[in-house]
Amino acid sequence: MLIEAGHFALALALGLSLVQFAVPLWGARTNDPVLMSVGGPVSVAVFLLVAFSFGVLTHAYMVSDFSVLNVYANSHSAKPMIYKITGVWGNHEGSMLLWILILALFGAMVGVARNSVPPKLRANTIAVQGAVTIAFLLFLLMTSNPFERLTPAPFEGQDLNPVLQDLGLAIHPPLLYIGYVGFSITFAFAMAALIEGKIDAVWARAVRPWTLAAWLFLTLGISMGSYWAYYELGWGGWWFWDPVENASLLPWILGTALIHSTVVMEKREALKVWTILLAILTFSLSLMGTFLVRSGVLTSVHAFAVDPDRGLFILVILVFFIGGSLALFAWRAPLLRQGGVFAPVSREGALVMNNLFLATACATVLIGTLYPLALEAVTGAKISVGAPFFNATFIPLMIPLLILVPFGQVLAWKRGDLAGVAQRLAAAALIAAFVTVLIYGFTYGGPVAAPLGVGLGVYLILGAFNEVVTRSWSPGVSLSVAARKARGLPRSTWGTVMAHAGVGLTVIGIAATAWSTERIVSMRLGDVADVGGGYEARLDSVAPRTGPNYIEDVARMTLFSGGREVGFVESAKRFYPVRAMPTTEAGIRTFGLSQVYVSVGEEQPDGSLGMRLYYKPLILLIWLGTVVMAIGAGISMTDRRFRVGAPVRSRNAPPTAAPAPAE
Amino acid sequence: MTRKQRRLVMIGGAGAVLAVALGLVLVAMRDTIVFFRAPSEIAAQGVDPGVRFRLGGLVEDGSIRHAGDQVVLFRVTDGGATVDVRYRGHLPDLFREGQGVVTEGALDGAGLFVADTVLARHDENYMPREVADALKQQGLWQHGGDAPPTQ
Amino acid sequence: MAIWIILAAMTAAAVMSALWPLSRARTAALGTAGEGLFYRDQIEEIDRELARGLFSPAEAAAAKAEAARRLIRAESRRETAGPSLDEPALRRRRAASAVALSAVPLLALAIYGAYGSPHEPAQPLAARLVQERDLADMDISEAVARIESHLQQNPADGRGWEVLAPVYMRQGRFDAAANAYAQAIRHLGEEPNRLANYGEALVNASEGVVQAAAREAFEAAVATDPLQPKARYYLGRAAEQDGDPEAALRRYEALLRDSPSDAPWISVVRARIDALGAASQPASPALGIDAIEGMVAQLAGRLAEGGGSAEDWARLVRSYMVLDRAEQAAGALAEARRALANDPAGLAEVEETARHAGVGGESGQ
Repeated sequence: MLIEAGHFALALALGLSLVQFAVPLWGARTNDPVLMSVGGPVSVAVFLLVAFSFGVLTHAYMVSDFSVLNVYANSHSAKPMIYKITGVWGNHEGSMLLWILILALFGAMVGVARNSVPPKLRANTIAVQGAVTIAFLLFLLMTSNPFERLTPAPFEGQDLNPVLQDLGLAIHPPLLYIGYVGFSITFAFAMAALIEGKIDAVWARAVRPWTLAAWLFLTLGISMGSYWAYYELGWGGWWFWDPVENASLLPWILGTALIHSTVVMEKREALKVWTILLAILTFSLSLMGTFLVRSGVLTSVHAFAVDPDRGLFILVILVFFIGGSLALFAWRAPLLRQGGVFAPVSREGALVMNNLFLATACATVLIGTLYPLALEAVTGAKISVGAPFFNATFIPLMIPLLILVPFGQVLAWKRGDLAGVAQRLAAAALIAAFVTVLIYGFTYGGPVAAPLGVGLGVYLILGAFNEVVTRSWSPGVSLSVAARKARGLPRSTWGTVMAHAGVGLTVIGIAATAWSTERIVSMRLGDVADVGGGYEARLDSVAPRTGPNYIEDVARMTLFSGGREVGFVESAKRFYPVRAMPTTEAGIRTFGLSQVYVSVGEEQPDGSLGMRLYYKPLILLIWLGTVVMAIGAGISMTDRRFRVGAPVRSRNAPPTAAPAPAE
Repeated sequence: MTRKQRRLVMIGGAGAVLAVALGLVLVAMRDTIVFFRAPSEIAAQGVDPGVRFRLGGLVEDGSIRHAGDQVVLFRVTDGGATVDVRYRGHLPDLFREGQGVVTEGALDGAGLFVADTVLARHDENYMPREVADALKQQGLWQHGGDAPPTQ
Repeated sequence: MAIWIILAAMTAAAVMSALWPLSRARTAALGTAGEGLFYRDQIEEIDRELARGLFSPAEAAAAKAEAARRLIRAESRRETAGPSLDEPALRRRRAASAVALSAVPLLALAIYGAYGSPHEPAQPLAARLVQERDLADMDISEAVARIESHLQQNPADGRGWEVLAPVYMRQGRFDAAANAYAQAIRHLGEEPNRLANYGEALVNASEGVVQAAAREAFEAAVATDPLQPKARYYLGRAAEQDGDPEAALRRYEALLRDSPSDAPWISVVRARIDALGAASQPASPALGIDAIEGMVAQLAGRLAEGGGSAEDWARLVRSYMVLDRAEQAAGALAEARRALANDPAGLAEVEETARHAGVGGESGQ
């Protein structure tokens, strides 16, 4: 009965989404505040219904109710509870339900948010979000129903792909989805603005916290996915330019551009048309990513639903929303009043450069991802576009952008003083250059790109904090006064500083991978091998072990540094009997920000054991940097200006610490 | 600066960045893209030694030999022809005889394919799309996604 | 019935979420107050940014004037907006209410009607397993699930694993079977039959290939019980797969020698021998006399118990003659005459064979 109630809740949510779509839209057209006010409660109700449905499915997984086809196909009674729960979204139907849950969540949050969104904009936004929800609910119910029943119910399920049985999976897709789907709300805002024909600074401020929220989660989601691939797939790589990874990177790049262009729009009422287009394209790329992954056009680990019918349905949704929104854009955009042309050397000029580079970089990644598909469709030739292509196109576009980042932070609006800015950044640039030369000297003969990359990262971090220093301290000011001033800087300034410093950390981490070492060795018990980075590993034992639903052979190694024992790592070859599937579990030991990474291979003909040993210096900075970026976005979201206009104004800004946004 | 000059500077800057990006893409397209080939295509058309490409097909039954020092020799077949492959390093977990595989590398002078990458599959039922197509062309692909019977 | 009440209640609650805001005469502070606030805040902000050097004084003045213009526009628009209670507004509300009241339940029912199974109860596994049920009502998968759930609680119950393993074998789930036998061995100890079964499961799991782990199991089984037939058979298979047909043949023949004539595996082993013989050399010379005697005894036993075709009788008679046992051949012929009394054509065939082999001649003398 519970299960059927969960199923019915989805059908009910579909009916109610129709109300969420039609009534507020009508209210906005007729300027009727009562009809517009329907959007709030209905969007909350839709969210509650979908949440109930999701809860019911999760419960069915927890109690192993194999009368639900989806549970039967993707679970097993012997699985640990945590993987029963994560299994809910470890398959196509469940993950689409999660997708809709997040869609409804964002709709409901706009419905209840108490900030300065004008009522018409809010009503239209909720209506557009309702339309997206309708499309995906139809898709779910008609082609991928998670509540399909199975009679008679089997007594055992069919387990879950063991590669997906990992804690990384528990966190990575939901985060990624919140990011992906979060951009649906910026899309809805853009469509609402086009429907109403009113696009101004108020719009930019209303949409900004949502863009930041979506970007924050997408950043964490991509980062988690990368770390998951790093330790689970056992190759020691952290980014493969896999088409599925690119599908999540593309909306991230455009989302980053969107964050920066909304600042210009909010402060200067410029870049309106471009910002709306960005909002549409960002979500379009999210939809395209879903289509590519779900349709099986790109076959990979993520394509757990290789089903052309579903692909076709998503393609229809894709064409409808992307085509429809671009058509509306083409119709309405010429009516918008254009902002003025502004000086190239100015804060807005720097932000335009940011958008230019990011959009171009996004286009190159898109070309690299789609070109093989297009070529095969046209000529039949099969090619692979791999990391070398992206390294040769994406990275050269990123470097000038990163060099410009601190300039954008310091330049003034309208007309900037380039010489003055260069002077302010001179210290950061000099220190970074010094660090580069120093490291180059120490690692003479090693890769040249690495010290340069580290220098760039140092420059980014110093440049980011340069803003804090120059805004709060000048010669003669005491440190305590400066500290108080720094604390008083607006949250959005601190958010920018953190996010840009995070980019710097990630750049250092990526640059340092050039120093990582890989050793492929054959070892017998008691053998000692050089790992690199001053570490050595001794193979102590290879022993079988039985896990909850797998058996494994565990190789245990003791690590030495300078002859001293510093710890151990275990890497295992696992075998999951139910799926008859072997996996390799890498062993990772962290030393500071660096890691020793061990992966066990096959037994060799002479009885020794194949081993891959890696030393990965500063590798953790890659992910640490992304976390710092996300923290920056979070700080920025709490800026006081996003609370302005809420019905009750909590407090006035303190007069001494003059908060002001700056991106 | 006049309004017109400003506009020109902005458009010129954008054009320059786009031109650079286009140039990078074109150069990268020429240098970094590798083609996918099946063994029978290599037999029919021939590939110059040293040209990187991806070789896909099935690992021929009984062809895997471990030569020590982590070197593995095996043959890749698509039913029409076979290619000898040499690879040093760890094999993916699901590398098995009779299963689909994609390797990347180049032929040496003697017709041996020296691979530096053997692509992993993550799922028992996953067959690299290119391999599936190649096998279909050779009539080896059975309905249902299973590897062809080889005994 | 209860399900429909619950679904109706859910529908009512959902519809209410739309009707409730429509029923309120006045709605919370709307209008464009937010916009006015926004521009006021923006003007203050420009002052603060001027203080931080983000604007030059002249630019700041221009920007402030621009924001002020927008503020005035927003404030003037505000006058016009506001809830109205005129006739068209009321009509709109009624129409919206009607849509909510009709479309939501109808659409939900139509969709659920098409895809739902309202009478299907939830069936959590734990609840299904504690239900008392007669063994007779259970199908095999239920029994398996019950044992599995028991084993999940008591993983050290080797007996349970041992019961489960052959079931897995029959279901073709060889990996599960191998795992179950491995658990049984772990908790009940190594025992030749258990080891051999374990090895057999491994061989089946690897599609008939005797791999190292399986071979070790068989060797361990034979080490304790040199006569363990299953282990000996698979060791023969292993030798075959290693490309050593002679060793395989030796193993198979030894196995036949040590086997009782009615052992069920005889035919399987013989088939392997035949296959190897076909592959290498004629099998008969290699076939030991004991083996042939075993075969003949088996055939005789079968015929004596349940009878057989004329062909079988003929073969028995011929076999006795080959083994130089004329008396037994004559006895067999006599029995055949009795057994095939109703089958003159078949009997004639047997008589013919006997004559050729020399049985009939002797008896005729």
